[in-house]
Amino acid sequence: MFGPRLDGKNGVTLRAPTLDDAKIFVRWMLEPETTRFWGGRTADFRDEAFAERHKKNADDPTRVIWSIAYEDETVGFAGLFDIDWVARDCESGIFIGRADLYGRGIATEAVRLRTEFAWREMRLHRVHNWISLRNRGSRRANEKSGYRQMGLLKRYGFRSGQWYDDWLGEVFPPGSPAGTFVPPSKGG
Amino acid sequence: MFGGTVRGRKTTLRVPADADLEAHKRWAADMRIRRAGPVGRWHEPAATATWKERWTEQAKDKSSVLWSIAAADQLVGYARIHFDGAPHADGISIDQFVIDPEHARKGYGWDAALTLHRWAFDFMNLRLAAIDRVAADDVGRQRILERLGYVRFGHGHGVYYRDGAYVDQYLYQMERDTWNERWPDEREYPPLGEDSER
Repeated sequence: MFGPRLDGKNGVTLRAPTLDDAKIFVRWMLEPETTRFWGGRTADFRDEAFAERHKKNADDPTRVIWSIAYEDETVGFAGLFDIDWVARDCESGIFIGRADLYGRGIATEAVRLRTEFAWREMRLHRVHNWISLRNRGSRRANEKSGYRQMGLLKRYGFRSGQWYDDWLGEVFPPGSPAGTFVPPSKGG
Repeated sequence: MFGGTVRGRKTTLRVPADADLEAHKRWAADMRIRRAGPVGRWHEPAATATWKERWTEQAKDKSSVLWSIAAADQLVGYARIHFDGAPHADGISIDQFVIDPEHARKGYGWDAALTLHRWAFDFMNLRLAAIDRVAADDVGRQRILERLGYVRFGHGHGVYYRDGAYVDQYLYQMERDTWNERWPDEREYPPLGEDSER
């Protein structure tokens, strides 16, 4: 499904993605400037494929996807994926497609809006994610919303002669007792 | 699938656009290109509607990638690879690599080949690249492959037939270690310092 409009600070808004947004998303993922920590820069690039993916995202009850707008222009996307509605857990993701806008706090505000929505409107219990350790902008944006390291996967990604570790983060609602270790029951 | 942007010095591998189809129609029917054998021939000549179907199939095929090769804003050729053993492949084969004869001898072939291999080894960290469709008299492609660091690992006899005669086939391979030794400065991104972050 698509997420509702969430107006944030500094000109940042999360809003439901349009088909035109979906086309831009894929184009961003094919450019070197934005894919140092991303996939292999290959995709099905036909208009029909965009439309199909867009519809699939809209229909999928296990994900919530937003476009990120900055001063009313679409500049990236954010989402909650693989929602386990029983455990109330999911994975989160974010992508800023405009390298010229890095460092303006757009991701920080988008993650804040997304995380708050997860607690206040979706009653989720936990959100987790995987971020390249070297991708400081994305990692810091998540840390500012409360994500804390829960693991470090060594040598997960490779780019330009170097291995990158992956940072595993998790976040819980404010005041949640989760994260406190409770010994397993001995049964009975 | 289609491949995204990989920039070289003279050329750019870029996403194929519908407007490129006319060039593919022309290339498939150009005897100068077809002479190279299967490395220069993605499909047989056909109507526009058929080419569109081929385009769609290529876009959906997760085991191969097609790029257009551009110099400045001009389309000058194309490259197509497939993943060996996809979807868990650690190697690629080059199926087609074509520079339009109208743009020959400008260094585009070499530049695009170097750029393609940077994507394969430095960006994708693949272990092996191979090509099994080079005609024995195709000196131009052999020069490019050997300069990159390919070694010949096979010689098929009387494999391709054209101009009323058979011609032999050469098979080449190149490993990531060779790339790293020979092209240590060919980087998609400047390496990050020990503790630095982007």
